[in-house]
Amino acid sequence: MRPREETISVGGVSVHTWIGGQGDPLLVLHGAGGNRGWTRWLAQVAERFTVLAPTHPGFGRSGDADWMDGIDDLARFHLWFIEAAGLGRPHLVGHSIGGWTAAEMATMSPGSIDRLVLVAPVGLKPEKGEILDVFYYSPPQLLTMTVHDPKTVPEWDELYGRAPTPAEIEIATRNREMAARLTWKPYMHNPRLAHFLPRVTNPTLIVWGREDRVVPVECGEQYRRLLPNADLTVLERCGHLPPVEQPEIFARLVLDFLGGHNRR
Amino acid sequence: MKLYYFSEMPHHEFPDEEGDKYPSLRLEFPNRFFDREKAAANYQRYLTEYEFADQAGFDGLMINEHHSTPSCVNVGVNMTAAVLGRTTRRAKILLLGNILPIEENPVRMAEQLAMADLISGGRVLSGFVRGVGVETWWSNTNPVHNRERFEECHDLILKCWTEPGPFRWEGRHYHFRHVNPWCLPLQKPHPPIWTPGTASPETAVWAGRRGYTYVPFLVPFEIARELFDYYRQGAAEVGRTVTADNLGFLICAVTAETKAKALEAGRHFVWRMGPTLRAPTEYFAPVGMRSRAGAQFALRARPRSLATLSYQELLDGQFIVAGTPDEVIDRFSRIQRELGVGHLLLEAQESRMDHPTTMRSIELMGAKVIPGVAAL
Repeated sequence: MRPREETISVGGVSVHTWIGGQGDPLLVLHGAGGNRGWTRWLAQVAERFTVLAPTHPGFGRSGDADWMDGIDDLARFHLWFIEAAGLGRPHLVGHSIGGWTAAEMATMSPGSIDRLVLVAPVGLKPEKGEILDVFYYSPPQLLTMTVHDPKTVPEWDELYGRAPTPAEIEIATRNREMAARLTWKPYMHNPRLAHFLPRVTNPTLIVWGREDRVVPVECGEQYRRLLPNADLTVLERCGHLPPVEQPEIFARLVLDFLGGHNRR
Repeated sequence: MKLYYFSEMPHHEFPDEEGDKYPSLRLEFPNRFFDREKAAANYQRYLTEYEFADQAGFDGLMINEHHSTPSCVNVGVNMTAAVLGRTTRRAKILLLGNILPIEENPVRMAEQLAMADLISGGRVLSGFVRGVGVETWWSNTNPVHNRERFEECHDLILKCWTEPGPFRWEGRHYHFRHVNPWCLPLQKPHPPIWTPGTASPETAVWAGRRGYTYVPFLVPFEIARELFDYYRQGAAEVGRTVTADNLGFLICAVTAETKAKALEAGRHFVWRMGPTLRAPTEYFAPVGMRSRAGAQFALRARPRSLATLSYQELLDGQFIVAGTPDEVIDRFSRIQRELGVGHLLLEAQESRMDHPTTMRSIELMGAKVIPGVAAL
């Protein structure tokens, strides 16, 4: 079944959303780089789940939300999105700042979410090391720091293999501005989040790349410790983008954890 | 045309090859190269030069503020204004300026500026700036909020100066439940306000609407004219007439008895244009700090960055003026004719330009150049 693009209105903000697949609802929240569309891992997961991958307000082709100040605003917004899109109680996958958003959503309303997958989420202050200051580097520099080895990324050419068009540069700039708006200070973390995570008893899978140079892999251990019902899987030879660096393995991890594989 | 003396108070007290090892002298060059003894002596020297500029007849003393850079170790413009307010007698004290978006407490700023105005006998010209990206990093202020904070900080300072307290301020970025500053400026209703410009049409329009003195910094003449047009557009919106007194321009300038000596001294300005501006784009223009219009204008305003221009190109482009007093008068007159400005701000000391050379230049400016351009 081919995915489709829809615009869903939430609180007066239009949310550009990729929708596809069949089965129980699965909400996927993207990272600071923006919504990469219907990538390989999504297509695989959509064989078992109805996937909704919205573009955050202020990003990509979604409407503006200059009034937002932090990831907690985005988390409240996406809880509203769940209602607006009529998703019931979906599984939730979030990557990087999308993972942070997912974690905040779970602390605010654990009953609104079924199972939770956090992929290299920011949100916690690392006990060791620092979160890379992504705004301090140019986008090309950042890309080289984000993945472990471009040669092993199956979709490299589709995603990054050509020079961006002016329209794509405009969207990338917009994404970066909105990411800055949401995460500038305290940089990429919420000092209060650790106090609320123990509320989240939802079964949780945490996925990290061993060679993540953006968010220290030790943060995965912090999340695992704070969440009462969480497992951590660390992928070898993988950087900050497990869903695109190792799409097959990542999709399999998600399917196994969500149980969709068994429902066939 | 009025002349203003300005030094960035540089701290060029380290081997250049050490600075070259880092992506920029700003933010990244480690402060273990800060020489405390030399800095202590330099502050005395720079303040002496300002005091001499006051005595020599400059109309104003311009001071500015930067952070995390050896190019400018004047890290507190209000502090310097207070010192000069006490040790000088005549010249205006032009703060250009306070970096509003990075300010956490506009009420304190309103108080400090008022105190400097009182100490100086009402000589403060209060410049408000948006700052460069480096200061945004230094203060960890969200660059996305830069313009909003600039405008709101300005509005609150103005209210502190012009409306009786106590009052409450609940804005977008600033929140004060009890504003009642017991320190108000001597000048009524408040010190004149100045704004610099390098690339943002929005700032020019904003200043034009309010009648603030607007000063492009180190841009080609055609860009300055374009920015002045934006200023006039803002002025026209509110029916305000623009005069030379509303417009200024900033260049680097030094004079000496001979052209050769002046040209030798003028070379020190190249450091300010080159090594101190060398940095990745993100340092000076972090994401969201500039509007799309501002970013596009900046590209046109600087088709080549100042850092890539040779000394001769900087002289030819009028970014640096170096010559005998007669030659300098000639150049300044040309600037006045070309741009119609009433204020010419002279960055008149830089890098390792020594004290005797600086003092002689100030002396010659006072004796010959200032009288030579006063009638323009």
